[in-house]
Amino acid sequence: MTETDKMIEMDNLNRGCLRSWPHSQDYCVTCGACSSSCPVSGIDGFDPRKIVRMVSLGMQEEIVASRWPWICTMCAKCENVCPMEVDIPGLIRKIRSMRDRDKVPGILHKGLDMAIQTGNNLGLPQEDFIFILQDVGEEIAQEPGFEDFMVPVDKQGANILTTIHNKLVNTHTDDLKHWWKIFFAAKEDWTVPSINWEGTNWGLFTGDDEKMRIMAGRVAENMERLQAKNLLWPE
Amino acid sequence: MGKFGTYTVFDLLIKYIQIGQIKLDKTKISVKAAYHDPCNYGRKAKKLFGHGFFDEPRWILDQCLEEWVDLYPAGMGQYCCGGGGGTLVTGYDEERIFYGRKKMEQIKAAEVQMIVVPCHSCHGQLNALKKTHGMEDLEVKYLWELVADILVL
Repeated sequence: MTETDKMIEMDNLNRGCLRSWPHSQDYCVTCGACSSSCPVSGIDGFDPRKIVRMVSLGMQEEIVASRWPWICTMCAKCENVCPMEVDIPGLIRKIRSMRDRDKVPGILHKGLDMAIQTGNNLGLPQEDFIFILQDVGEEIAQEPGFEDFMVPVDKQGANILTTIHNKLVNTHTDDLKHWWKIFFAAKEDWTVPSINWEGTNWGLFTGDDEKMRIMAGRVAENMERLQAKNLLWPE
Repeated sequence: MGKFGTYTVFDLLIKYIQIGQIKLDKTKISVKAAYHDPCNYGRKAKKLFGHGFFDEPRWILDQCLEEWVDLYPAGMGQYCCGGGGGTLVTGYDEERIFYGRKKMEQIKAAEVQMIVVPCHSCHGQLNALKKTHGMEDLEVKYLWELVADILVL
């Protein structure tokens, strides 16, 4: 590639192509406070101000292809220090949404797709899920003071229905116990749904509004199916 | 679609403690702790919903511990741990660990043995950061784990 190929023709940019984005990027005063506040400024030569300017200039292809929007955590520190209140996290999420789904890094999209197909990010079958819950429940029942402990799966009309983070039925099963012990001590009437129990919603991270809505809708369906009174969604 | 209520993790714990539905023993844990504000419960909730959950977790900590401190900066100006936005599973691990250095500097400066968080992503990231920052002894605690640890049955 020659130096000329790498150069961007500023006169030929389609500055209007991202104008429809509701992210106020054109109000940027280029002060750089965002870049100074960001813990990952500089990685791959990007920083928040540069991204905002590139969106403003309509450099869609370059920003969508770059890794930086995926290294950013959308923490909103930049937005908090911005004198013009440019919604930089919203802009990053929009950029993420424009990636081809098979080019979304890591397991973010794969996990979400699995959740859409099976009800949880792991593709964990219902019987395995129930087995894990009961196994951990039996461990709690062996502790002094918790002898009568049981995990109420799919209980109708409970006061609290709680979702489950997939890592708690995968590599971190001991961390299921904290809330359950609190429920026991509080004599709470609670339940866990046996299907669509996934508490994470990775569409939030991949910019996939449609799949995010499906996942949230399933939680609401569980509330209705089990006639639960209140939802606890600790994820 | 029927109507139903919702609880945040904070509201439910506060309700249990306030009406005496659970009892806690403050003397069970004596280490010095600090609280980390997750972006989504704090700064981002404030922006999106008009309310950031800053006071609620701190009230709960007051009921659980004799001594705890805030990191500096905290609240709206806090630093992200680096594990948010799905970055725990993008595969860019080196960059994520680099991101977390600010948080670990804050925790180191606070001179605490325990960091309390109400977020699964922060919990995973802070544990992943301990080794590279020579802070293996730091205990990363879920807020509800802290409550469960000091329950009086």
